Amino acid sequence: MKKERIISYRRRCLQIGTGLSHYILIVSKKARK
Amino acid sequence: MCDENQLQAKYANTGYGPQFVFLDIGLPGKIAVVEPNVAFWALVDHDAVQDALAGPLIADFQRKAEDFKREMDYLRFGLKPSAVYFNPTELCNFNCTYCYLPEKMRRNGKTMTVRELCDALEHLYSYFHRTLPDDSKPQIIFHGSEPMMARESMFAGIEKFHDKFHFGVQTNASLLDDEAISFLTGHNVGIGISLDAPEAAIANNLRKNWHGKGAFDSVVKIMDKLVTYPAFNVITTATSMNVHTLPQMVDFYHDHGVKTVMFNPVRCTREGGKKLKPHNNTMTEYFCKALERTYELYSKTNQKLVIANFANVLMGIAGPTGRRLMCDISPCGGGRCFFALSALGGVFPCSEFIGFPEYHGGNLFQDDLDVILKTKPFQEITTRTVENIEPCATCAIRHFCGAPCPAEIKMLSGTVNAPSPYCKFYEEQVRYAFRVIGQGREDAYMWDGWREDTEETFNLN
Repeated sequence: MKKERIISYRRRCLQIGTGLSHYILIVSKKARK
Repeated sequence: MCDENQLQAKYANTGYGPQFVFLDIGLPGKIAVVEPNVAFWALVDHDAVQDALAGPLIADFQRKAEDFKREMDYLRFGLKPSAVYFNPTELCNFNCTYCYLPEKMRRNGKTMTVRELCDALEHLYSYFHRTLPDDSKPQIIFHGSEPMMARESMFAGIEKFHDKFHFGVQTNASLLDDEAISFLTGHNVGIGISLDAPEAAIANNLRKNWHGKGAFDSVVKIMDKLVTYPAFNVITTATSMNVHTLPQMVDFYHDHGVKTVMFNPVRCTREGGKKLKPHNNTMTEYFCKALERTYELYSKTNQKLVIANFANVLMGIAGPTGRRLMCDISPCGGGRCFFALSALGGVFPCSEFIGFPEYHGGNLFQDDLDVILKTKPFQEITTRTVENIEPCATCAIRHFCGAPCPAEIKMLSGTVNAPSPYCKFYEEQVRYAFRVIGQGREDAYMWDGWREDTEETFNLN
């Protein structure tokens, strides 16, 4: 268990805009190269 | 930019302060504090609630509120299509109980010729070349019906356009012979297969050919051949008939070395799926047990099985723009991040709509894609927001769930502006995700590389 009394963070994707529907595979970066 | 009054606010919920709501997450000693409009959250110890309502959290939030809002607006309204669900054929050699495509289509439908398929890819390339940045490669996912029924055309298209698109294929695996596997893996094509239970009796009852015969044994053999391929995953559709096997399914996949799966609740878009919808409480119970089991196995063996649809919900909280699947956000990805192409050239907001002529936006071979994407059926989906749906409009987790899916909701409710039939299931998934964060266990549930693919833009500590 984390010890902080308040946990809050947010991350931002470095390459936004590649979203798919729930029917597909997450195409891995390795496979893309 | 925040004005002075907002920056000087000391308290939540009064004056110029932010509107925070509280959420029980089922974790002893902790609650979630959420600002729903911008998908901001904090997990707060019970004895720190006062700090969350009147402490540094207020100032930190106010400083970033505009950035959070801009980010959500871009994610929800600023993206361009970058993927196509490409149905190269209407035919399927299977007749699965819950398929969302009409039977007549799957029995007697059209298959694209090599020329037609390459022509379609040419049209799509020309569109994306114009609309996407030069360093961005669009994705083509061959989808079904059963795309391997159009093997010759599909492989010719992949061969010809492999440097212009990222390709993927979602298949029932029954037609994947060694030659096909070698071709697909040799061309770095993502491969997704479907399997619905860890035992033949249940799996074959749900997914079977026109003679009622399933392919459990051969699908498992194919799975074993593909487990080491990095762009491989398996989809399990959860129904009332197999939902209780989800925890065993985790062990089954883990034993076989599978790394990524999706446990998708069946969509109620057609009668078959609707009849098999698992009860929300049952779905929640076994889905959460399955998640728990992935954690136990990961802790014991250091071998991870990612349940990607849950990882996506978790990512929607940890970093909204890091989502990879665009069902659990409103507007959903249909018609704005991706669209679907039928074997006849028909363009639809998503594969779920292919069986419904009223969602036909136009024909790729005859009409301008820019025009198609602005037609009424597309706009109905691309402007569908939780703000126009009750009770979603005031729900604290509205931007972690998105009230999916408009196709099944339209068929169930007669309008897209209604909540998800899986509302309760989503509520519990989001609570589970908050518990994962509260316990610091994100890495056990998230896909590898999720931290490297993202950067931290806010951290209270």
